[in-house]
Amino acid sequence: MEHFRLFVLPFYAGAIFLLITLLFKYIYWFVGLSREQKRLFWRSLPTRATWKSILEIINESLLHRKIWRTNPLLGYMHTSFALGWFLLITVGWIETYVYFKGEGVPLYVDIFFSYYVHPIFERAFNFSLIKDALLLLILIGVGLALFKRIRSRVMGMKRTTKHMLGDRIALTALWLIFPARLLAESLTSAEVWRFGGYVWTLSENTQLIPPGIGCGSFLTGSLGQWLANFLPARIIEAQHIELGAWWIYSIALGVFFIALPFSRYMHIFTEMPLIFLRNAGLRASEKETTYDRFQIDACSRCGICIDPCQLQSGADIQGVQAVYFLRDRRYGRLTDAVADNCLMCGRCQQACPVGIEQNTLRLNSRAKRAYPDAPNRYAYIQGKDPSTGEGKVGYFAGCMTLLTPRILLAMEQIFAAAHETVWWADKNGGVCCGRPLKLAGEVDAARKMMNFNKELFQKHGITTLVTSCPICLKVFKEDYQLEGIEVLHHSEYIQRLLAEGRLHLHAGSETFTYHDPCELGRGGGIYDAPREVIAALGILKEPAETREHALCCGSSIANTAIDDEGQRRISGQVATALAATGATSIVTACPLCKKGIAREATIPVYDLAEIVARAI
Amino acid sequence: MTSWGYSISRPRSIDIDRNDMSYSKELLREYPELQTCIACGNCTAACTAANFTSFSLRKVHTLVRRGEYQGMAEELEKCMLCGKCRLACPRGINTRQIVLTIKKHLANRSR
Ligand code: SF4
Ligand code: SF4
Ligand code: SF4
Ligand code: SF4
Ligand code: SF4
Repeated sequence: MEHFRLFVLPFYAGAIFLLITLLFKYIYWFVGLSREQKRLFWRSLPTRATWKSILEIINESLLHRKIWRTNPLLGYMHTSFALGWFLLITVGWIETYVYFKGEGVPLYVDIFFSYYVHPIFERAFNFSLIKDALLLLILIGVGLALFKRIRSRVMGMKRTTKHMLGDRIALTALWLIFPARLLAESLTSAEVWRFGGYVWTLSENTQLIPPGIGCGSFLTGSLGQWLANFLPARIIEAQHIELGAWWIYSIALGVFFIALPFSRYMHIFTEMPLIFLRNAGLRASEKETTYDRFQIDACSRCGICIDPCQLQSGADIQGVQAVYFLRDRRYGRLTDAVADNCLMCGRCQQACPVGIEQNTLRLNSRAKRAYPDAPNRYAYIQGKDPSTGEGKVGYFAGCMTLLTPRILLAMEQIFAAAHETVWWADKNGGVCCGRPLKLAGEVDAARKMMNFNKELFQKHGITTLVTSCPICLKVFKEDYQLEGIEVLHHSEYIQRLLAEGRLHLHAGSETFTYHDPCELGRGGGIYDAPREVIAALGILKEPAETREHALCCGSSIANTAIDDEGQRRISGQVATALAATGATSIVTACPLCKKGIAREATIPVYDLAEIVARAI
Repeated sequence: MTSWGYSISRPRSIDIDRNDMSYSKELLREYPELQTCIACGNCTAACTAANFTSFSLRKVHTLVRRGEYQGMAEELEKCMLCGKCRLACPRGINTRQIVLTIKKHLANRSR
């Protein structure tokens, strides 16, 4: 214990606390998983999923490749902290191992190596050089992080996250760690420059370093040399400021470790178990599970999700974006105002480097507060059958298409032209598909509508179900389990008719621009079918943000909180972007998008079915 | 006092003075836009649930604003939350949220 110094204590306290807290949290969450979820995890371990996870951890937790794609400077900042620090620790371990030839030394010697051991300042390639280089890498990252506070735009971010007190404490400690380490190592080097030092070895023959040589490398060694000349000998000899610097370094580490589990830095560790569980096939569901906790704590509050959110850019609604939603939910202070104010457009999910399932988490937060469903609710639809016609192909208009009768009329013309005999599920009014209710969190009540419609489809023996509403399409595909019935969006159906030669259209030279509905594109992965149909009719001009990056019309059924003014402003945003293509009309493939965009558009807005019917 | 031979028909009278307006006021404070309702009935005309049953959103929010809450929570349970009413409303009232808020409030009240 002769080498023990008091200053190592804060580090120890922090490290032990961190270890216990992390273990407690992860075990607690894991135990809380459902039996099925646990089974998925254990089963995935001996498979390729494990290698995939390890690779992904290297790519995302250390290299942060997705953030590099967002912005290189931002990527550098994240990588320098993660990879830089990781390598610094690893190189430190190796150095200690090599230096003491594998003999066990107390952990503090490893962590505070430069205080104990003074490798001579040589202008050669050695461990000190690597460590100094890594320290420089991180210090540049710290500089960038500071710079980002002042001018975030340079890093491709218009807005950054507003942080809480706990985060600020952790952040301050984190930023302090590396300058403190630089100072401490340099001061130790200064002392060695001035008065010489010794090289601590396990063997008896401790080597002495004469004054004027110093230790460290180009960073700590040079700064040490400068300090040795600059500071009065008296001060260096007393060692007060040297020890002080080591104290600060140790305290910064300790504070950071203690604050970590309560701050956004929890993501550093949580992303790893999350990657394993996700690759094992776990997903968030409409009811909360402890798997959600892994996702929520894996959010680094990097704020990348803020800029894409149109509530912020279009309607000036702040504090509800994915990052704030996850934060509020994590600390148990989620309000309805935040949970409800989201279009579930998926733009944040698309941008999030951690791949957090924003929409599902938002949904199960809403579902959690739903009141127990009365058993006799919707008793009035029992035994009703609003459908008409007979045929193997069923058409479900959905509430929104019923409100936009021109789309319905166009579909009638298309079916007639293709000589299709159609069973009309809800031409004269039907039961809602259930998705709006589900998105509002009333998951159990929505089930009743789903069952009603499903029974209706089965009763009439259809084999194909066509719908012109992407909202219905999504719920049919994801929640209805319609075995034996193929579900098609009308864009896919029309595309098929064209391919089979059952529908002939007169192509023109009109220019169209296309708006990707969120539920169809990001939500359903259907991008090409509507484009191909448009290409058969005229010229397609893509807006600046398209496909996965398409804007939302703002009228989303998922947002129950936004007011009319907010909806209009977002509609205006997308209408302007679409008109900027110079096209003569806007085409979309969602009745709600059509209605939403048409409110603010200066050029006509059509549904895909309308322009097709016109060209028959 | 002279009796004029006229009297108030109790079942038909609306005595706003005796109604409990506390929640009505709160609702209007929270959603002032509801005051702009012109009782046009578009919300009811467009309503999916009204296709199958006698449910009328206009009736419900009018009664609630008037301080008559009895049976309203059960009535609102019929709503499918499809959102057609919101799109049909000429005053841009967020009718879906009104449905949710009234339901939430009345549920808390009866607890
Ligand atoms: S949700 Fe994703 S993008 Fe948003 S702050 Fe968290 S990690 Fe970053
Ligand atoms: S889903 Fe859309 S509206 Fe909701 S937070 Fe994400 S970007 Fe914003
Ligand atoms: S209406 Fe269209 S753009 Fe708007 S949220 Fe729905 S699918 Fe997305
Ligand atoms: S549609 Fe709007 S304005 Fe008309 S009655 Fe309903 S809420 Fe009132
Ligand atoms: S949301 Fe409810 S009240 Fe409005 S139209 Fe749909 S079923 Fe009717």
